[in-house]
Amino acid sequence: MSLWVDKYRPTSLSKLDYHKDQAAHLKRLVEGGDFPHLLVYGPSGAGKKTRIMCTLRELYGAGVEKLRIEHSQFTTPSNKKLEISTISSNYHIEVNPSDVGHNDRVVIQELIKNVAQVNQLDSTQQKNFKIVVLTEVDRLTKDAQHALRRTMEKYMATCRIILCCNSTSKVIPAIRSRCLGIRVAAPTIAEITQVLTMVCKKEGLTLPNEMAVKIAEKSGRNLRRALLMCEACRVQQYPFNVDKEISEPDWEIFLRETATMIAQQQSPKRLLEVRARLYELLTHCIPPDVIMKGLLKELLSVCDGQLKAEVVQNAAYYEHRLQQGQKSIYHLEAFVAKFMAIYKRFLEEGIADLF
Amino acid sequence: MDDSFELEYADELEAIGHDEDIDVPPHNPPKSKRALQFETPKSKLNNRASGEKTDDSFFIQESAFIASSPESPVFPDYLNETIPKRKRLQDFDDLSDNAHQQSHSPTNFLSNKRARTDEPVEIVCEENSDAVKIVHQLRLARSSSHAPVSLPRANDADDLERPRVHKHIPKCDFISAVGYEGQRVYMKLWDEEVLEAEYSCISTDARSAMLLTTPVTVLKEQLEDEKSRKLYQESEELHDKIHSIIDTNSETDNSRVTRTENREVEMMNDTNKEVEQLTDDLKMLWVEKYAPKKYTELLSEEGINRSLLHWLKLWDYVVFGKNVPKPAKKSATFKKASEKDEKFKKKSQTGVTEELDKHNRPEQKIALLCGPPGLGKTTLAHIVATHAGYNVVEMNASDDRSVEVFKNKIESATQMKSVIDADPRPNCLIIDEIDGAPAPAINVLLNTIKMTDNETEAAGKKKKKQGHILLRPIICVCNDQYVPALRQLRQMALILNFSHTESCRLASRLQEVVREEMLKTDLNALLALCQKTDNDIRSCLNTLQFVRQRQKELTLQDVQSMSVGQKDTQKSLFSVWQEVFIMQKAKKNRFVSIHDLADEKQELNQSTFSPSARFQHMLHLCQSAGETERIIQGLHENYLEAKSKDPHLTGLNLANEWLCYADICSHFIAKSQDYSVMKFSSFVPIVFHFLYASYSPFRIQFPHSQFEASQKLMKSVNLLKTLFEDMPPITRKFNNHQSIVLDLLSPLLDILQPTLRPVNTQLYSNREKEELSNVVKIMMAYNMTYHQEKSQDGQYVYALDPNVEEITKLPGLKQRKQLTYAAKQMIAREIELEKLRKTESNLPKSSEVSASEKLPDPKVANVPNHLKKLEAKSLTQEKPAMNFFEKFTKTKRDKPVDKEVVDPQDKVKKDLLDTVIWFHFKEGFSNAVRRNVKIQDLL
Repeated sequence: MSLWVDKYRPTSLSKLDYHKDQAAHLKRLVEGGDFPHLLVYGPSGAGKKTRIMCTLRELYGAGVEKLRIEHSQFTTPSNKKLEISTISSNYHIEVNPSDVGHNDRVVIQELIKNVAQVNQLDSTQQKNFKIVVLTEVDRLTKDAQHALRRTMEKYMATCRIILCCNSTSKVIPAIRSRCLGIRVAAPTIAEITQVLTMVCKKEGLTLPNEMAVKIAEKSGRNLRRALLMCEACRVQQYPFNVDKEISEPDWEIFLRETATMIAQQQSPKRLLEVRARLYELLTHCIPPDVIMKGLLKELLSVCDGQLKAEVVQNAAYYEHRLQQGQKSIYHLEAFVAKFMAIYKRFLEEGIADLF
Repeated sequence: MDDSFELEYADELEAIGHDEDIDVPPHNPPKSKRALQFETPKSKLNNRASGEKTDDSFFIQESAFIASSPESPVFPDYLNETIPKRKRLQDFDDLSDNAHQQSHSPTNFLSNKRARTDEPVEIVCEENSDAVKIVHQLRLARSSSHAPVSLPRANDADDLERPRVHKHIPKCDFISAVGYEGQRVYMKLWDEEVLEAEYSCISTDARSAMLLTTPVTVLKEQLEDEKSRKLYQESEELHDKIHSIIDTNSETDNSRVTRTENREVEMMNDTNKEVEQLTDDLKMLWVEKYAPKKYTELLSEEGINRSLLHWLKLWDYVVFGKNVPKPAKKSATFKKASEKDEKFKKKSQTGVTEELDKHNRPEQKIALLCGPPGLGKTTLAHIVATHAGYNVVEMNASDDRSVEVFKNKIESATQMKSVIDADPRPNCLIIDEIDGAPAPAINVLLNTIKMTDNETEAAGKKKKKQGHILLRPIICVCNDQYVPALRQLRQMALILNFSHTESCRLASRLQEVVREEMLKTDLNALLALCQKTDNDIRSCLNTLQFVRQRQKELTLQDVQSMSVGQKDTQKSLFSVWQEVFIMQKAKKNRFVSIHDLADEKQELNQSTFSPSARFQHMLHLCQSAGETERIIQGLHENYLEAKSKDPHLTGLNLANEWLCYADICSHFIAKSQDYSVMKFSSFVPIVFHFLYASYSPFRIQFPHSQFEASQKLMKSVNLLKTLFEDMPPITRKFNNHQSIVLDLLSPLLDILQPTLRPVNTQLYSNREKEELSNVVKIMMAYNMTYHQEKSQDGQYVYALDPNVEEITKLPGLKQRKQLTYAAKQMIAREIELEKLRKTESNLPKSSEVSASEKLPDPKVANVPNHLKKLEAKSLTQEKPAMNFFEKFTKTKRDKPVDKEVVDPQDKVKKDLLDTVIWFHFKEGFSNAVRRNVKIQDLL
């Protein structure tokens, strides 16, 4: 594969570029023989899946890289047909149960049972268990998580489960306690720069260090994004021009503009315009919590110290409600309205102080 | 003009004439009755009964009566009358002339008086039957004594009217004066003594003229006595009964208990009986009792009545064989009239088309009456149908309306007629509440209409199928004509839209009813009631009946405070939003009449505008409207445009807070299926009402942005899904929807735009070739390609497929630079080729994950199957025979034979024949036949 992200993805634990201690731990874990359930968590673009893949390879050898996509069907108790596609090799199966929405419980129950009830054919040579990788566990419903916890114990003999998610806060404690948590932290700027220069070197390109740092900073410590940005820069202009703006994702620019709009004027009319923009973002599949976070980040830059605390507190409050609710537009709008009120009051006080 | 008018309204005229023939009103016209009731009884009776009245006053009344009766001014009239009288007095010549006058004054008075004295008694009769006998007796007794007494009195009255003013000089003393019109008149002078004598005479007369032989007080006492006596008797009877029952039950120990119980039971029964007696005439619903019985009584709009009747008359030829009065020549005047008529209708009321089809049936086979409930649609249909001489067959929602039953019913109704009845009239089918009927059933109906049409074309079979032709009118009644199931039916039907009956018309009808039922009320109250029920006749009548059961009077206050009669109607969403954002004007209480006291009015106003009343009103509105979710959406859509004074944006925050709250509620309900929380969300509109209600007009928009947003979101998600669908597993493994949108797509689109010279691929430098192949590979890895499509202005463009650009593109941002058309085309072609190559090469190979293995190297012996030549197996490879002995013999001998005999051609032939499987190449190739499979691939 030829995107740099895919092309230079390390395939074994020993080749990983950062978090080397953790890699060593994982290696020892594999060698130790009593491989536990894993809960791999960390921000996106930190290399969770890469690590999972490396671990699998460490366990089973190159055979895990022979992947195929399978479509399996499940029937809910209410006779609804569910279809979900899985990625599997001979040794493991990977599935994202949240693809089927509310019925993920059925998938979890059926799928894991199916996999776990079949023993490995040749247990002498390989490990005598299979691996089930569940991604986006934080989006699982509570039901599904409860269904998972008993299965995890029951089929321990024949299968291990690797859970992958961004945050453990939405994983019920019962599951957290059954797994070995592995936190894959986002790479530091330095690490990203290092990776970027390494990749460019392999590509036969010269990447100025300032450029690498700039990209790393822009990426928000997301290695995937950093590599993609770097490649985009390469396509747009080579040799690299350090002064050139690094193009950001459109939605981030859009979000920033929205934030400036909010800071410029505080009125119902402006809120109406902001709403239209929020709708626009939402319909472009940008998750509401990302919008909320982005807005907050941009809005905080115009706030005073004391105001910051209040704004952040309110953001947290509305983010919480956002998770509780259904229609994100209400909550986003409510946050914007709240910010407007706070900011307006702040401005008026400032003017009053002047006189 | 006259002719056309007659033609047009012939039906109606006939209807009216018809009614007049048949209907002789059984009772007196209410008007005269009222006059009698209202004017005479109280004042006169009182005057007479009291007996203490002075004669002066009495006579003043009388004279006042005279004065008020004729239209002409009093004075000249007086003069005119007096002239002959004077003549009579002076010279008794022309008696014949005077006879008329004479009879006029006294006797008329008498008879009038008698009539009046009669009336009150009658009214009393109605009210209290007990008193009838007594009063009757009394009256008889009095009438005998009355005549002689009243006669002289009448003379006195005459005497009073003797001429006092003369035009000519009288014989005795006189005073002259100037009259109204300037002529000189004379008045006689009388002696005081004479007058005094006269007065005394009158007063004695009056005293002796007792109107009742016994004073009223005595009469009342007698009545009371009678009543109490009766009651006493009844109770005694009851007592006896109970005792007798108790006696029969006396064996039981707890007789006392049973006794009391029994008594209670009895009492209950008794009271029940009384109630029954009371309500005997109330048993019938007023709605039925006062339903219009004939065409002229219909309350609905005349235009509608007329067109329905007219339509029905068009059937006359088919049904009765009568000739339909055809408007054969449409004269200019007629046309004008009809145009005018249409203009008058203006509400796109589809007129009746006059044309008849081949079977002489009207063009519109069906009449569809639609309108809100309670306007008398069903009644109209029934009345018109019976009036036109049909036997009504009704079918409504209470009947089973499955397709079978529906069909049967239609057929039986339209093709048969009742034989048993005395007058076998043709049927007219009325399908009530057709909007609730299932679509297949309506289709059956449609078919019966349509079938006949098709059938006319197939003339050959006509005779056979004649029976199926729809030959009877069908009238359908519905509330909502826009139900999807009715769509087709509407096209073929005569649609008659019912609009609301005017309040005043309805109120006047109600007044008649009320009068009939002895309910005291006034027009204002009735108008208010009409308004309250949205001019729903049925609901008005029901309410009135309900009120009548409890009390005898209905006041405006009652109506306003009443919760009955208010239907639990669903207001439309728009009206709910209107009420939220726009403050109600005082106009709403316009039925409060002037007679209402000022303070009362204030109170009313206060009540509708006080916060608590507004709160209650809004709450009721929202709860009855349902669809809270929708309402809240509408609020969300509109509240930012509403005007409100909110400098600190606190109201804005509050509103948003409530929106969030409602959303959390609804999510909770959806998640837990616990609907007990649902009630809370109907409070949201109240908050918005208090925050944003204003008097200024406000344009409310229907909330579609949320829907649009969800549609767009769905589209984007689907795009992503298709992108994922065929993505090779290795790229798919490391991506999910979110990461693709947030991180990948924007840079990826940049990466996919290398600078390529617009020249032939052959001329590309190595670097360019590399870049091109790189783009192709990336696009394949992410399951993308370019797809030719026609843009709106007719140009062909290559667009990404799936078009993920739509997901990244946001309005107001600078456009990404695009590849040229040629470049895109080239890339698309390359992708196609690459895909082809991939399918040709070994499938497992393509999914192998080594970055080095990019392209199947043409140099490698790994030739695609179809390029391989079929090579025959050499015989030498064949295993030697297993026979031990042959081994010794044959091998030895074989070798030389091979060398000698078999020349190469022969050998090929033989090889072919000897192989177990051989292929004969025809055309094309198939991978299914042969494939190189290494054992390592299977592992």
